Amino acid sequence: MTKLTFDPAGVARRQLQVILALDCSGSMRGDRIASLNYALRTALPELRHVAADNPEIDVRVRVLRFGSTATWHIADPVPVEDLKWTDVVAEGETHMGDALRLIGGVLTSEAMPGRQLPPVIVLASDGYPTDDIDGGLKAFFEAEHAASAIRLGIAIGSDVDEEILVRFIDHPSMKPLKATNAADLVHHIKWATTAPVKAVSSPTNAPDPLVPLAREADLAPTANSEIIW
Amino acid sequence: MSGSEAGLLRPGQGFATTSGRQGRVGALLGAGGQGEVYSVGLDGQTFALKWYHPHYAELDTTLRSRLDRAVRRGAPTEDFLWPLDLVDIPGSRSFGYVMLLRTDDYVSIRDLIAPPPKRLELSLARRATICQQLARSFLQLHANGFCYQDVNFGNIFLDPKRGRVLICDNDNVNIDGAEASIYGTRKFMAPEVVRRETLPNSRTDLFSMSVLFFYTLFGWHPLDGRREAETKLMNAAAEMRLYGEQPLFLFDPHDDANGPVPGLHDALVARWNSLPTRLRTLFERAFGQGLSDPAARVLETEWRGALRIVEEASFACPECGFEHVAEPNPAGPPGVHERCLACTEPLATPAFLQVRDRLLAMTVGATMDGEVLERTLSGVAAGRVEAHPQHPDRIGLRNLTGDAWRAILADGASYTVPPGQVVRVLPGATIDFGRNQGRISQRLAAGEGT
Repeated sequence: MTKLTFDPAGVARRQLQVILALDCSGSMRGDRIASLNYALRTALPELRHVAADNPEIDVRVRVLRFGSTATWHIADPVPVEDLKWTDVVAEGETHMGDALRLIGGVLTSEAMPGRQLPPVIVLASDGYPTDDIDGGLKAFFEAEHAASAIRLGIAIGSDVDEEILVRFIDHPSMKPLKATNAADLVHHIKWATTAPVKAVSSPTNAPDPLVPLAREADLAPTANSEIIW
Repeated sequence: MSGSEAGLLRPGQGFATTSGRQGRVGALLGAGGQGEVYSVGLDGQTFALKWYHPHYAELDTTLRSRLDRAVRRGAPTEDFLWPLDLVDIPGSRSFGYVMLLRTDDYVSIRDLIAPPPKRLELSLARRATICQQLARSFLQLHANGFCYQDVNFGNIFLDPKRGRVLICDNDNVNIDGAEASIYGTRKFMAPEVVRRETLPNSRTDLFSMSVLFFYTLFGWHPLDGRREAETKLMNAAAEMRLYGEQPLFLFDPHDDANGPVPGLHDALVARWNSLPTRLRTLFERAFGQGLSDPAARVLETEWRGALRIVEEASFACPECGFEHVAEPNPAGPPGVHERCLACTEPLATPAFLQVRDRLLAMTVGATMDGEVLERTLSGVAAGRVEAHPQHPDRIGLRNLTGDAWRAILADGASYTVPPGQVVRVLPGATIDFGRNQGRISQRLAAGEGT
């Protein structure tokens, strides 16, 4: 009896892809990789929650791991509500250049079909790249949507090539987030994945979406610290 | 939003409000960019405390004076979750304010556009009622010389059971014309604010309110048409173009460059065509002239009559459930589509009661506001549409007034309708309510003769 001429559920939502690039080199072995896996497990429910608060956008997640090679851990952009975390394993070198090249390969209209919001790319590393990082950065920034992307960097531990993270972020007010302990790492992973999604529907003071994010990122450690009390 | 994390305040910590009341911090309820919200005990009652991040309190230099003024002036209507008292804690670099606690009965009206199963399903009439309540509240706010500055989906909550609206996040409210503390929220800002030519004021509030109304009725943004659909990546430049520099209404009557895309926006087109001309005309002005001329924006009072038609004259297609709104016509039968805009079947309609310029769909459960009869204040029901207890296909109008009505049927027979009694709704009949008369009409479904 019913022959609807359209989908009453309305129009498809605009997609927001969150791409996580995780350093899984040998130096991450042990408690660090365990912390990283734990951080991601705790960030996911939070991300689901934030996504549900922003019903206009369809949040998708892709995950890439890099060690002696860079490979997709979760290759297809998975709707955040369907995502189940399987642990990443640490081994080998730090092929961050390969990782950036691989990400660059999906920052195209073909790999990101339909209506998209600027993707969010979170790069987390605990060391110095061992491959051709300059070539990797170049290939990354040549990608169609690289410049529009929200790029966040997390430095795990104290022996990190921060300069590379700064070059990846490439924004005057956004600095790498420093995680010197497990609690910071959990906090930063959670913040870096959820804050940009929240920002889509948050009040703003600045035309550049990264400026308020940078301000929030700056504060994150203070808000957590014991200093206020 | 997890309640287990360590926050800026410690549970159990004591505090005093500016007015001298003693309170104690409870659980952390939520956190955002500006600060955190706690449950607090105050004089034996539970309230909410918003506590600012020290950096935010420092950054927003007029925050304290705004809140102080808001507390002194009091809420414009009870629909505002208004600051009640300020809170300082010795040794802290920040401050906060106390407000009523929003109970779990309230859901964000963002849920109107959430994907199922979370989606809040509300009838068109209920959506129009929400808009009416918001218009009333914003009118009071503006009439008091305030502006809200950040009207958007995230600040409006709804108790679907009681139909009550709650306007939250009132800490940006400021004297209209004073320097604003915030630009607004993406896609709700007026074009001149998107272009950063002005800070929010009462005229930009009116624009944001129109966007909110369009969203509430359509579940969609009024400026998202062909151009948005063709924008593959919505970066800052694209947003500036679509919502700031070249905004164009999805249903602009003179320019279809940003019009609906067949196959993509069909549901929106059907919804648009289902609405009464008076409401569409207001949207055309709000998102036509109103895009560039703040003085042309639709005032709260103007929405009222147009939204009332949706509240009173909407009905669902019995075949597919898609809602339509009949067009009032004091001189003749109401205007209704021949076929359903969604399933294209011949559209069967309920009977309608036309009283002066008001058109009421006689669907079971509908109430007739006392204002229709010019007897009582708005908000008091003068009649209610009911089905006969033994013959559910017979629809009647119960007299909820204290005076008898007189019903004159098409054949001239006349009946008295005492208070509390029900008169059957029959096309062609007239009901004399005393001060004015109502006429019942019904468009016969196609194929049922003339």
